[in-house]
Amino acid sequence: MKILQKTNLEAYEKAKRLGSKKTVELIKKKGLTGRGGGGFPTGLKWEFALKSKGERFLIVNADEGEPGTFKDKFIIENNPELLAEGILIACHTLSIKEAYIYLRGEYNYLKDRLERAIKNLVKKTKAKSDIKIVSGAGAYVCGDETAIIQSIEGKRGQPYIKPPYPTDAGLWEKPTVINNVETLANIPLLLLDNDWNNNLRLFSLSGNIEKPGVYEIETGTNLKYILDMVKPKNRIKAVYFGCSGGCIPVKDIKMEKESVARCGCMLGCSSLIFVDEKQSIVDMATNIAKFFEYESCGKCTPCREGTMRVLNLLQEISLGNATKKDLQTLEELTYFVRDCSLCGLGQSSMNHLITALNFFRKEFEERCR
Amino acid sequence: MQVTINNKKYRCKEGETILDAAKRNNICIPTLCYQEDFKSSARCRMCVVEADGRIVTSCSTKVCDGMNVFTETEKVLRYRKLNAELLMAQHQDSCFVGNKNHDLCKIAKDVGLREVRFKPRKDVMMDIKGSSIARHNEKCIVCGRCVKTCKELQCVHAIDFASRSHHTHVTPFFEKSLGEVLCINCGQCIINCPVEAITEKENIDDVAKVLNNPKKIVVAQTAPAIRVSLGEEFDMEPGTNVKGKMVSALKRLGFDSVFDTNTGADFTIMEEASELIERIQKGKNLPLITSCCPGWIKFAEHYYHGLLKNISSCKSPHEMLGSLIKSYYAKKINKNPRDIVVISIMPCTAKKFEAARKELKNSVDYVLTTRELAKMIKSKGIKLRDLKKSKFDDPLGISTGAAAIFGATGGVMEAALRTAADVLTGKELKKIDYKGVRGLKGIKDASIKIGNKKLRVAVVHGMGNAKRLIDSGIKKYHFIEIMACPGGCIGGGGQPIPTNNEIRQKRIDAIYKEDKSLAYRKSHKNPTLIKVYKEFLGKPLGRKSEELLHTSYVKRRLY
Repeated sequence: MKILQKTNLEAYEKAKRLGSKKTVELIKKKGLTGRGGGGFPTGLKWEFALKSKGERFLIVNADEGEPGTFKDKFIIENNPELLAEGILIACHTLSIKEAYIYLRGEYNYLKDRLERAIKNLVKKTKAKSDIKIVSGAGAYVCGDETAIIQSIEGKRGQPYIKPPYPTDAGLWEKPTVINNVETLANIPLLLLDNDWNNNLRLFSLSGNIEKPGVYEIETGTNLKYILDMVKPKNRIKAVYFGCSGGCIPVKDIKMEKESVARCGCMLGCSSLIFVDEKQSIVDMATNIAKFFEYESCGKCTPCREGTMRVLNLLQEISLGNATKKDLQTLEELTYFVRDCSLCGLGQSSMNHLITALNFFRKEFEERCR
Repeated sequence: MQVTINNKKYRCKEGETILDAAKRNNICIPTLCYQEDFKSSARCRMCVVEADGRIVTSCSTKVCDGMNVFTETEKVLRYRKLNAELLMAQHQDSCFVGNKNHDLCKIAKDVGLREVRFKPRKDVMMDIKGSSIARHNEKCIVCGRCVKTCKELQCVHAIDFASRSHHTHVTPFFEKSLGEVLCINCGQCIINCPVEAITEKENIDDVAKVLNNPKKIVVAQTAPAIRVSLGEEFDMEPGTNVKGKMVSALKRLGFDSVFDTNTGADFTIMEEASELIERIQKGKNLPLITSCCPGWIKFAEHYYHGLLKNISSCKSPHEMLGSLIKSYYAKKINKNPRDIVVISIMPCTAKKFEAARKELKNSVDYVLTTRELAKMIKSKGIKLRDLKKSKFDDPLGISTGAAAIFGATGGVMEAALRTAADVLTGKELKKIDYKGVRGLKGIKDASIKIGNKKLRVAVVHGMGNAKRLIDSGIKKYHFIEIMACPGGCIGGGGQPIPTNNEIRQKRIDAIYKEDKSLAYRKSHKNPTLIKVYKEFLGKPLGRKSEELLHTSYVKRRLY
């Protein structure tokens, strides 16, 4: 796997030689996009930050909260030096004196390993940047970049409306670059490797399969091909793109942003959960709805009230107490929550249900009176 | 730049929001969590519109050139209705859609909500331990207006959000009661709540009880600010002065006597102006800061212990009058003070807390807000509009224009200056309007020449403004007036809802009109006051005055 490559600070030295402007140019040219799910061009983000005035901050988003996603954990566990080098390159290129790694609370056991790798590299390079690790407290919403900022500042982890974008006014109102772990780990690779390819991604594959785990797969690979690799236990009925990406029935489809979007789903950070024919989609939906009901931060009406009402309705459907009219109310709510919520959490919290109602409606109707 | 709204082109300014543009052009978009003068938090999502094919909140989305906005598409209307339905289900009240006068009910009616398909929630929380403010969290829809008001407008930080998901609620820290934390009881959260989830702690029943007790002599006194706002509760124009009708209504309700708190205000001025002159002559404890506002007093007791020596030791006007009723008046009518019950009708919720302070015994027993008085009048079926006018009772019924303007920001300052100027110069000055201290500007700063002396004064209203002034340094001033509520008492937390800047200004105008209409406009010219000092009190800051009209303060903790 490329992501396990040891770069031994060669990339850092190269970035130093190139200087800020040329490094950013190179990242832009190679076309690196964010791996947290949004897919924003990283070079562009860095360029915005470079143009801003005054003190800057870097936040490394290691709050990998999406159910079924464990690629960042894989990097921190197996090649923390690569991530550390990426962070040092970012700090050097953008003249950042303070960087924060927002580490998911559940990943606390990786803190020592990461800290050691960073200390080691800082010692070797004599870099002057201060890199701190901040532990999350277990809120899914803190994966949102504005919520991360609030959380690091010691405030209630709640998103706020953009603009201003973090690159203009982020942490403590100062320009802030927020990058995902996988994004930063790719920086040394793209600087050194002439054949580096933005399409090579880490896929988190899980569900009812023999061989779950992190795979390095090129985007655009056919789903059927991936299915062969993971050895399903039974016939697979549906694939969920994490909890927030939606679901599709298994078919001939390329695993790339556009094809997946055409089915009403989001590939996001490339996590696939395989669901086989012995499992019920209604139960899946109820389970995921429970997750979102619990994780809503409570700020905006659609997400706060909507996710709770959706869960209640789904529970009624599961128990066989619901009517067709309730199903209608449920559907009405899903679109309302998707379109009117304030942040990405609420907006994507209904994807699983909208697509499930689209592809597996029968299963819901069968449980209604 | 040009923006198309509902197929019509409008000229828009750079940086304004869709909501701003719509409002300016009389296009109606319902809003709930949005408050003028505050940064939008866009949490209620009621003001959604369709802009360039996307659903966005109009309060937070800035217009851009060529933008195409639709405010009433089928989708938008459906979403607003569903939003109102969800909020109605969250807001559990006996009120059904549209039968109450608060913002959410109005919106529910406007969006055409007829039934709520969702079951009510089960978690019911109430906080009624405080002496001034009660919170009914079961009605709260977490719009955050109270939090923003407390934090940004008042800088008090008494309440914030706790928990997450649908368990999110507004609370003082560690789920304490408002009565146990640094809340200053100003009641601005009440004015800003769109669902009546925060209200004053009602004393209507207590008052009804004493009114029905034949052994008690029940005396009412009414604040300067309520005569110009009570009418609003009875659908009159803001700024209608209903002084005479209000007195008649109080008599109908069964009060034995009705006095004017304005008379108390004249006593406050006599004492406070004397204090100012004394401090200026001695050069000690300057600046003198006013003490009429119990919200400000509690703010200082929590946040500014160092300033307590600067605050005037004068009781607030209604407490002064309360003391005089239970001493001077009791003697006059030959009654035991224990048989007299004094009820103050105030525009203020903090006065309830003040009346319960242990430093202020033997004066006011209960405080009712303007809204509570209106409720009492309505519940008796009295039509305020049709009542004949009556006069305040003697011997504490005559007051001056100086007292009348106490209700507006800058009023106490101006009234004190009118008296201090006469005393310091030994003349009867004709110029008595101090326009520099009037108006709705947050921090007013003026230099005033009295004889050959120059006084530097400042007037602030709104606790946030007060904090900004104090933190910027106040050594240069001689005299500062601080009121907790925007606009002064006429914008108090016990006043009719809505209270906004337009309404505040109308109430202020009415107050200055009353000032002009009165025979006496300087406190020290009030014949009642002169008589009481001669017969009973002696002189300002004298032994008896200190005992009856002055008080002390305590240091309180932040948490």
